[in-house]
Amino acid sequence: MKTYNIAALLVGVPLLMAFSIPLFGFISKQLAKWITVLTLGFEFFFALYIFLWHIYPFNVIMGNWVPPFGENLYIGPFATVLIILVSFVGLMISIYNLWSANHGDVVHFALLFLMFVGGSIGLISTGDIFNIFIFMEITGISSYALAAYGPERRALGGAFKYLVVSSIGSTLYLFGVLLIYTQLGTLNIAEIAARISQTTSGLLTFAGILLVAGLAVEAELFPFNGWVPDTYTGAVNPVSATLSGIGSVGGVYVLFRILMTVFGKDGNFVSTYGNIDLMSLVAILGSATVVIGELSALAQKNVKKMLAYSSMAQMGLVAIGFSIGSKMGSYAGVFQLVNHSVAKAMMFLILGVIVSFGIGERIDDMKGLWYKSPFLTITFTIGSLSLLGLPLFGGFWSKFALVDASIQRGGWYDFVIAIVLFASVVEAFYYLRIVGYMFTSKPISTDKIKVSVSPAVPIVAFSILIIAIGVFPQIVGGISWNAAHELTDKMGGYVLNVIPTIVGH
Amino acid sequence: MVDFLQNWVYLTGSMALIGIGLYIVLTNTNIFRIIVGLNIIDSGTNLFIVTIAWHPKSVMPIYTATNNLVVNGHVIAADPLPQSLVLTAIVIGLGTTALALAIAVKIYQKYGTLDVRKIKEEDR
Repeated sequence: MKTYNIAALLVGVPLLMAFSIPLFGFISKQLAKWITVLTLGFEFFFALYIFLWHIYPFNVIMGNWVPPFGENLYIGPFATVLIILVSFVGLMISIYNLWSANHGDVVHFALLFLMFVGGSIGLISTGDIFNIFIFMEITGISSYALAAYGPERRALGGAFKYLVVSSIGSTLYLFGVLLIYTQLGTLNIAEIAARISQTTSGLLTFAGILLVAGLAVEAELFPFNGWVPDTYTGAVNPVSATLSGIGSVGGVYVLFRILMTVFGKDGNFVSTYGNIDLMSLVAILGSATVVIGELSALAQKNVKKMLAYSSMAQMGLVAIGFSIGSKMGSYAGVFQLVNHSVAKAMMFLILGVIVSFGIGERIDDMKGLWYKSPFLTITFTIGSLSLLGLPLFGGFWSKFALVDASIQRGGWYDFVIAIVLFASVVEAFYYLRIVGYMFTSKPISTDKIKVSVSPAVPIVAFSILIIAIGVFPQIVGGISWNAAHELTDKMGGYVLNVIPTIVGH
Repeated sequence: MVDFLQNWVYLTGSMALIGIGLYIVLTNTNIFRIIVGLNIIDSGTNLFIVTIAWHPKSVMPIYTATNNLVVNGHVIAADPLPQSLVLTAIVIGLGTTALALAIAVKIYQKYGTLDVRKIKEEDR
């Protein structure tokens, strides 16, 4: 067991800075926004340092109480790649906010944003199943408030819907956690994972269903994702980018940490303890999410609502990838998560720039954007091509791995190949329709859009990253493979790294 | 921890509270009533957490000369951990309720109604 206690700063610094932002806000509003940029910059470079110097996997031990007794953070390869992703997307959105957040309560917006990112990083790194609930509520409460922010009143309805669904979800999660506690008397993920087979099978199944129901809200899986379109459409664009680029990452992480590490039964393909196989359940939910999300996105006339439904469908693909249960499948899931998060955050930011110049959100309003702003058109095209999975863009490699993993699994998963290809075709149809409108139609007015530096930096950075992943997939591929190893080999990959002396049952 | 099923009254009560809360949230169209329903679900969960930590013959979990925590090899002390967890859960429930009420006030200011259906119609 390796300890590296200084990494507690990854969770501590954003929460500390978040609550001191009102003090900086007294001096100037601009300073408050720059504090978010500096804090998330620190997070990003610290996470990059952990990755590049290969410090992971390690534990953070609180107060010298070793893991089964005290609380710990565990940062393995899976957590490392997601912390880099979350802090990178957060940093880019905070740079964008320097330009976009300039009316209303800017200081408290910065506070909530930093709290949201800090909570997500905590969610990803914690090694205690009850702390997951606390971090879920930190990200939850700050994201309800973020979703309600903005001049438009439709934001309030979306935020309230999100609040109701998500707080019921986290209550169900808490209930499931306590059911497991009654069986094992511990809240440490590693100890529960090692002793999960000692529980009563029926109670474990009930707890598992409650946990999946609670976590599927954040992970945007089918029956629990009714909040997605309203909330994403109502919120201001940087908030939509935050929710789809950061919020869903945390949700998926926790869902599959619970299913594969805690409930997982090792084998050729990971399945779960209990009366029913929760991995198959999630695979079914994920397939339903993809089909419903893609078909709903196809029917939309509003670009923002289309992106919301598309984001739902992409999360379905991620869930399918993990639920295959093989190493290749988890690799596809992590890779797809990275691609989705980067591309979708970028497209919401581009839409924010377009809307701020008085162009509407409907598909017809996108006509002739090429003549107004080649920069926005090209970056939007890059994002679309990555999401629909064209070679030389990031999304290709993850969909390729997804199909590969489904073929290896065989059986029922042959059906998944059809779903992935169907999703690509439908995505190609509705994204390329917009891209076609942008390039071909002549606009009525050809007023040039002049994009200032602060929104341009994140958009350029995201598009460079997408193409870089497309050309050199090993940037993300290597660590995704390690993450897949951590997920599929539960004892060697997770439990023994946290509690070296424990014996699996 | 092991024999928490002895408290079947409280267990049934907590399940019933969660059921009632879900029913209120699902069937009411008034935002204020939905918030009340959320609160009832929270109370049900909190009651469940306290219940699993306690049973009728349990003693306080503090070791003194007269307070025997273990009798005939069975731990009879109440489990202190869920009781500390329930405090956290109560505080989080309070925060969520406060934010929900703040959003409800904002909705009433902007729409002039708390009825979910009317709000949906006005958004069209």
